Amino acid sequence: MKKIVTAISGVVIGFLLATVFFADFTDIGPKSVADSNEKSNSEKVYVPFGEKDEYYLFASGGHSGQMFIYGVPSMRHIRTVPVFSQDSATGYGWDKETKEMLGGYTWGDLHHPAFSETDGDYDGKYMFATDVGNSRAAVMNLETFTVKDIISIPNTSGPHCAMFVTENTEYMFLPTRFAVPIGHKYEPLDDYSEKYRGVMSAVTFDEKNEKLGIAYQIALPPWSYDLSDAGKKMSKDWAVITTYNTEEATTNLEINASQADRDFILLFNWKEIEKMVENGQYDEVEGQKMIFPEKHKGAMYLIPVAKSPHGVDVTPDGTRFIASGKLAPAMTVFSFEKAFKAIENKEFAGERNGIPILNYESVMEREANPENALGPLHTQFDDEGMAYTTMFISSEIVKWDPNTGETLDRVPVQYSPGHSVAAEGDTVSPDGKYIVALNKIAKDSFLSVGPSHPESMQLIDLSQEKMEVIQTAPVNPEPHYAQMIKADKINTITVYPKDEANPNAVYSLEDTRIERKGNEVHAYGIAMRSKFVFDVNTERPDVIEVNEGDKVTIHLTNIDLDQDITHGFAINGYDLNIEIQPGQTNTVEFVADKAGTFPVYCTNFCSALHQEMTGYLLVKPKN
Amino acid sequence: MSRKLTKQSTILLVISGILLSSSIFFPWWGMKFIAPQYPEGLNIIVYPYKMQGEIEIINGLNHYIGMKPFSEESFPELKYLPYIIGGMSLLIFLTAILRSKKLLLILILLFTVGGLLGLYDIHRWLVDFGTDLDPSAPIELDPFVPPILGENRIANFITHSYFSYGSFLIGITFVLMVFSLWRVRKK
Ligand SMILES: [Cu+2]
Repeated sequence: MKKIVTAISGVVIGFLLATVFFADFTDIGPKSVADSNEKSNSEKVYVPFGEKDEYYLFASGGHSGQMFIYGVPSMRHIRTVPVFSQDSATGYGWDKETKEMLGGYTWGDLHHPAFSETDGDYDGKYMFATDVGNSRAAVMNLETFTVKDIISIPNTSGPHCAMFVTENTEYMFLPTRFAVPIGHKYEPLDDYSEKYRGVMSAVTFDEKNEKLGIAYQIALPPWSYDLSDAGKKMSKDWAVITTYNTEEATTNLEINASQADRDFILLFNWKEIEKMVENGQYDEVEGQKMIFPEKHKGAMYLIPVAKSPHGVDVTPDGTRFIASGKLAPAMTVFSFEKAFKAIENKEFAGERNGIPILNYESVMEREANPENALGPLHTQFDDEGMAYTTMFISSEIVKWDPNTGETLDRVPVQYSPGHSVAAEGDTVSPDGKYIVALNKIAKDSFLSVGPSHPESMQLIDLSQEKMEVIQTAPVNPEPHYAQMIKADKINTITVYPKDEANPNAVYSLEDTRIERKGNEVHAYGIAMRSKFVFDVNTERPDVIEVNEGDKVTIHLTNIDLDQDITHGFAINGYDLNIEIQPGQTNTVEFVADKAGTFPVYCTNFCSALHQEMTGYLLVKPKN
Repeated sequence: MSRKLTKQSTILLVISGILLSSSIFFPWWGMKFIAPQYPEGLNIIVYPYKMQGEIEIINGLNHYIGMKPFSEESFPELKYLPYIIGGMSLLIFLTAILRSKKLLLILILLFTVGGLLGLYDIHRWLVDFGTDLDPSAPIELDPFVPPILGENRIANFITHSYFSYGSFLIGITFVLMVFSLWRVRKK
């Protein structure tokens, strides 16, 4: 016992002495260097090599049909993910699976990316997006950043304001921008009000099979539906959409759809609609369960709003929704609670196209009208529930308090911001910290590239009292909308796991083979550093020989189960190019309708002997 | 002087037998390859009955210099090594039961010879893999022999060869055996 006491006290004394003599107390007190207030803007956005950005920014690529992925705060472009457009950099749109998914379309107009949600917060599993160009919806898996499914939405034209995801990803609602006759049938524009409809679809996602589906559709009036948001918390069963052209004009909309003093917000209860569908209260139209609001009542309401509204955004606490009048320069704060009460008391100010209209005054809480702020479009939120609205015409972001309508701060941006995105800014728990302005015009900001200017994104620091633009990045057309997610919520894989159950996969050289069935040729090959092996048992294992007119299917497995070793496979002169990620099996299918000699090669630089990773496709001519 | 082992030596022997038999489940020896493209390193970790690590990736890279691919099949030792160790452990337990000093002496000699043979075996494979290179390989390299212990450079890779927990256990086993014999001698 005595020994132990001696030992312990010895250690303690030693430690004390060491502290007295060698400890450095100079870092006690305020640290001037690490203080964020004194960091320059370049220091705030600088992410040293080896460290990673704090956020992923997923920006829609508009009519590029792609999704752009950035790191925030560095604003470094990390990756372009093709969604609705072919992309030869990644071979997207030539392999069998993606070609089938694209369904013959070569482009899309990607709008409104939206993360899958759990309890109103991003869960980092999937990203959804819509195609205004060809009326489609897509889902991207965030383990691989690849698109897993695309569906065409019938009866609808240009789902612009979607996707908006309900609190637990029960539905993604896709309202239409262009009203069309159901089934896209020919109908004269003189019959617009009777025969045209602005159909909205309730899209579902089956996570197990990674498949999108349509639960039902709603034949809304023939108006244009602009932006939308799903409720949260107390309003989680509800959603809101802005509309314009309630005038039902059919030509020169610039003038004719801007006549009415008021347009509407459509407020609907999707839980009620779900019940309707369960009870069979719908019509079967064009193979869809179609709900007609004039027939199936009790779940949809209209709220008058300043004319031609654009954005409508639900506050993080779910109690209010804020609409911005594109042409009437004010933001209106509406209360869900008031709306619910008005609905309960059946306080209606008449009906429009069979849908009850609520009194503006009985739902409205306040109007916010910052001085000389013009063209309010979208609102995002910070961690304290403060609102940030982009002003398209006056080129600025205005910070204001939804509780009082008071303007708190404003920051100019260059120029004409459409959407903005705050860090997790449309979830139940926004982070504050950053907001990014997605600017439509970048005039004079960068080195000239001719008449077509880049568009731009600007990163704004929200951590201090005054908002400040701290980084500007030129971008490809068109940064329409974006969502920003905390980087640690995303868990990617680096190599595809072996899938022994895949009949097209070949993991060992001995199993490579070329099989012929009549005029069909099936190759089961391997791509590895630095060669292709289509059939190991032939004199030239890297050659595929077929006859003109043969239907050729090539399955390739990349057996380099090593991070960052992607192989490509292109057939020179045959307009074919696919990519195979480590561990992945990919398939290309084509008819060998051109006789001749066609070198095949690896397009994706893979190793020192990448240049040698070649072979031949020989197509023997018909006699 | 008694011809039997003391109680203390017997206990030490039992412990060393347990350590030896448990060494089967630990890695014995390994190599780590580090290159600019692989700062995290690629590993070959050798257990008495299996190999672990990024073997397929290493094989994929080795084909550039014409080195034969490694696999568990290419090392027949891995099939019978666990039995040899198991057998040795049983002999130690037997010695402890019989408390035979003579047997212990024989065991220690056997152990020494076995250890040296083991080292020679690793060396033999290193020579085999490093010198029997395919002459038609894309990158021509002078034959090389990585050390059993320590650093070496092969093309863009720095290799670190090292002994691991399994061999440490064997080392302890050996020391305990010698120590228990020494305890007896002293009396
Ligand atoms: Cu390659």
